[in-house]
Amino acid sequence: MRSRSFAFFLLSAALVIAAGDLTPSAAQEKKNKKAKAVDAPATPTAGAKPLDAILKDVSKPAAPPVAVPNKKDPAALAKLIDAEVNKKLAADKVPGSPRASDEEFLRRAYLDIVGVIPGAEAARAFLDSTDPQKRERLIDQLLADERFGRRMADLWTAKLFPKDSANRFVAKEPLHKWFEAEFNKNEGWDKLTTKLVTATGTVADNPAVSYFMANRSVDKLTDTTAQHFLGIQLQCAQCHNHPFTSWKQTEYWAMATFYSKVKADNPKNANKGGDPLQNGVQEGPGRSKGKDFFPEAAKNLPAKFLGGPEPALGAAEPFRPALAKWMTAPGNPFFAKALVNRTWAHLFGRGFVNPVDDMLPENEASHPELLAALAAHVATTGEYDLKYLLKAICLSDAYQRTSKPTADNKADTALFSHMTVKVMSPEQLYDSLGTVTVASKTDAKQGKAQIGAAKGVKVGARDQFVNFFLAGAETVNATEYEAGIPQALRLMNSNVMNNPAAARAVVGGTKKPEEAIERIYLAALSRRPTATEVKNLTAYVTRVGADTAYSDILWAVLNSSEFTLVR
Amino acid sequence: MFSEKLTEKTRREMMKLAAAGVFTTTASGWLPVLAKAAPAGGTGKAKSCIVLYMDGGPSHKDTWDLKPESKGAGEFKPIKTAASGIEISEHLPKVAGVMNHGTIVRGMSTPEGAHPRAKYYLHTGYREGQGGVIYPSIGSTVAHQVGKADAAMPNYVAIGGRSYGSGFLGPKYQPLLITDAARGVEDLKTAVSAAQFGNRVGLLEQMEKAFHGELGADPANDHKTTYERAVKLMQSKEAKAFDIAGDPAKSKYGSGKFAEGVLMARRLVEVGVPFVEVALGGWDTHQDNFARVKNLSGQVDAALSALVTDLKERGLLDSTLVVWMGEFGRTPNINNRGANPGRDHYPKAWSLAMFGGGMKGGRVIGKTDKEGATVAERPTSGQDFLATVCELMGIDYTKKNETPSGRPIQIVEKAKPFTKDIV
Repeated sequence: MRSRSFAFFLLSAALVIAAGDLTPSAAQEKKNKKAKAVDAPATPTAGAKPLDAILKDVSKPAAPPVAVPNKKDPAALAKLIDAEVNKKLAADKVPGSPRASDEEFLRRAYLDIVGVIPGAEAARAFLDSTDPQKRERLIDQLLADERFGRRMADLWTAKLFPKDSANRFVAKEPLHKWFEAEFNKNEGWDKLTTKLVTATGTVADNPAVSYFMANRSVDKLTDTTAQHFLGIQLQCAQCHNHPFTSWKQTEYWAMATFYSKVKADNPKNANKGGDPLQNGVQEGPGRSKGKDFFPEAAKNLPAKFLGGPEPALGAAEPFRPALAKWMTAPGNPFFAKALVNRTWAHLFGRGFVNPVDDMLPENEASHPELLAALAAHVATTGEYDLKYLLKAICLSDAYQRTSKPTADNKADTALFSHMTVKVMSPEQLYDSLGTVTVASKTDAKQGKAQIGAAKGVKVGARDQFVNFFLAGAETVNATEYEAGIPQALRLMNSNVMNNPAAARAVVGGTKKPEEAIERIYLAALSRRPTATEVKNLTAYVTRVGADTAYSDILWAVLNSSEFTLVR
Repeated sequence: MFSEKLTEKTRREMMKLAAAGVFTTTASGWLPVLAKAAPAGGTGKAKSCIVLYMDGGPSHKDTWDLKPESKGAGEFKPIKTAASGIEISEHLPKVAGVMNHGTIVRGMSTPEGAHPRAKYYLHTGYREGQGGVIYPSIGSTVAHQVGKADAAMPNYVAIGGRSYGSGFLGPKYQPLLITDAARGVEDLKTAVSAAQFGNRVGLLEQMEKAFHGELGADPANDHKTTYERAVKLMQSKEAKAFDIAGDPAKSKYGSGKFAEGVLMARRLVEVGVPFVEVALGGWDTHQDNFARVKNLSGQVDAALSALVTDLKERGLLDSTLVVWMGEFGRTPNINNRGANPGRDHYPKAWSLAMFGGGMKGGRVIGKTDKEGATVAERPTSGQDFLATVCELMGIDYTKKNETPSGRPIQIVEKAKPFTKDIV
């Protein structure tokens, strides 16, 4: 594997030289802008096929390798998941870890689905419930919770709104809000994707166009589409033929042609007195700057689906709807698999294929049959229903295993014998700290601003906090603890983490140390303290006095790895 | 491409070795251990680097590359320096006195003319957005390559202004940000008494011990290491370097935030911090160029000369590379903006300066034409310059680091460093 990646580098370097550097650099963009407008007609070649015929060919997925439920049935789908995961474990003689405790499951489900820890009351209620169906009920309740939309919007806005100096003048908030509403509506991943890919209008009318405002060149759009919706890293093929796959440079630019007629307003105009919400995106006849980014040799390529046929499109009709129809067709070779792999990784910290957005045929899946079966089911009977897919996975034994490895499965990282330990994202951390430390409305205002921003700065506390923890990175890796010293200092020493009122609010009026300690543990760690913890901490309360002790214990709990990890 | 698996495997093996006592460092320190195991490429002996970052793009014709006979010569006169044959602006008289320790690069020629993109390029050696990767800044690269993973002090400190981060290297190599040198490190002081803080850390340790015994996962270990380093920093003697108030040399550096930042940089280098960047804004002189450059030059003159002299006195000049740079130069002609005109962005030909760092000093690399408009000799790209910084720091700039998705990225690409001409 190592040699392959080196070879990849060497080869790619050689190919760049051979092909000439076709990257649309800023200088080249300028040159192109000055060059005479080349309004290359997307003349279909003789090989072009009518779109309807193409869509008919991809109207059904290949038959799944194992039988799938013939209706939407989360329990049956969970069963299928376990059968496949267990088959592989048995074949490799790796035992699965036991079922997670209620405490572990509760906190995991909350953080994975709604992105925040349960409060003390929710934790107590769940732990004390004797309902045998309580885990399933919790999953349903969390998927119906509005915070589900926010959690998904956090993930997708980070992917589709790159941190880029060109995006200084583009508002991110409308896109985030739009995602939030769409994920809560849950109309289907195919429909959501179509809305995004074909978005037209002003930001005010259709916030989905912000996706185009934030990716204002055909190459960015092509890369993003491939990476996030199709699970393919195509950007290498922008400059050279991909050495290990069939992605030729022409294939890249032929795919990019679907975006070549998009016209996005320059966000800088809004900065000069206009209203950013009145900026927008159009697609239609007439000259667009789209083709300015194309290398000369690619300017006359007709649009062609990645690894697929060339649709016969009229020069006057919009191209994006055709792209969306092909992408979301049940038989599309990439779309449903990418969705399943990404959703699995969302819950397990790793996909069947890793990296999740590099699903080359050569990059073998850990569970190819399960991946194919889930994808085929989701694309047809499952109606691209994201909540349904999440529920089925969350119901599985695989998801409900403890993260504590056994002596015999310690070494396993790919078979899902025990749950991966994940690290809270900055958003999860911010929201979770908020549930514990915000003791009053004033605190909510001041405290959040304090922990989010450098002292004195108030704007967008949550974004400030997230940026401080991302520290320049685009996203965080869910399985690595990546925070550094400045972040640890902020968590230990900022005012909001040292607010005695927060500890008092968590503890409430109780005079009993055992009860106070239990409340702190339930609020922050969603579990009751062990007998040893109660013993040690009660002794501590006696030693330093109740008020001081409670704020000390809360401080320690919030700074502990148990708080920041998702087990 | 499949480095995720590879990384996991390597990591496990490293942890086994660490457990067996092969490495004395903590398990989470494995990355720098690997980096050090690689053959050293650079031969330079500098251990630290201080970048004085002139935000906005300083005018080369009014600082290091005066052209008194040219059309847009401007008001400033050149003066002689301690390096024979080298002349610089009359508003840098003290710097002129230490020019024998410095190298001026007069042939900088770069592709970006807008501030954010140019700053990104000069900090990383890559164009923003290139290949869909976020590249690490030179400070993060130094922290990654030569920083100590278990040191109490941070390996990269950025003072007074926005800096560029660690990109795909990850948050561990981010700079510690100091917004105001006079106020020191944010959140470094405890919100409670030292005794109470001690109690709290005691509680935390107890909890971690129980939790780790149960789980023993990598992220838990990394969390522990980070907290240990942060607490160590709070309690370390070295952290006093962040407290500039009582420094006897303070007045030499001039007054203002930049002077305080440069003083802090010297103190940080004295305790072994490998990379410090101090920003001085205000160089975007589209208007009123001469009054503003004169004022800014005054700030640079005091602070930079004091820094070089102080480092020399302490025997640290040879092992500390001091760089003065911006993101581009300014037009050779003076524009027509009102009564107090200025100069506009100009990346085609411009200057930067370097001091100490094991260089011979008293050199000029490159040359512009008589207008200061094009590079006549030795055009130097941002990559050439950054590769030279790497070599002076003993870093092999051709080394490749992998992005999280496994793409190998060379520290600096397509570079022709000029190290051998200056050491």
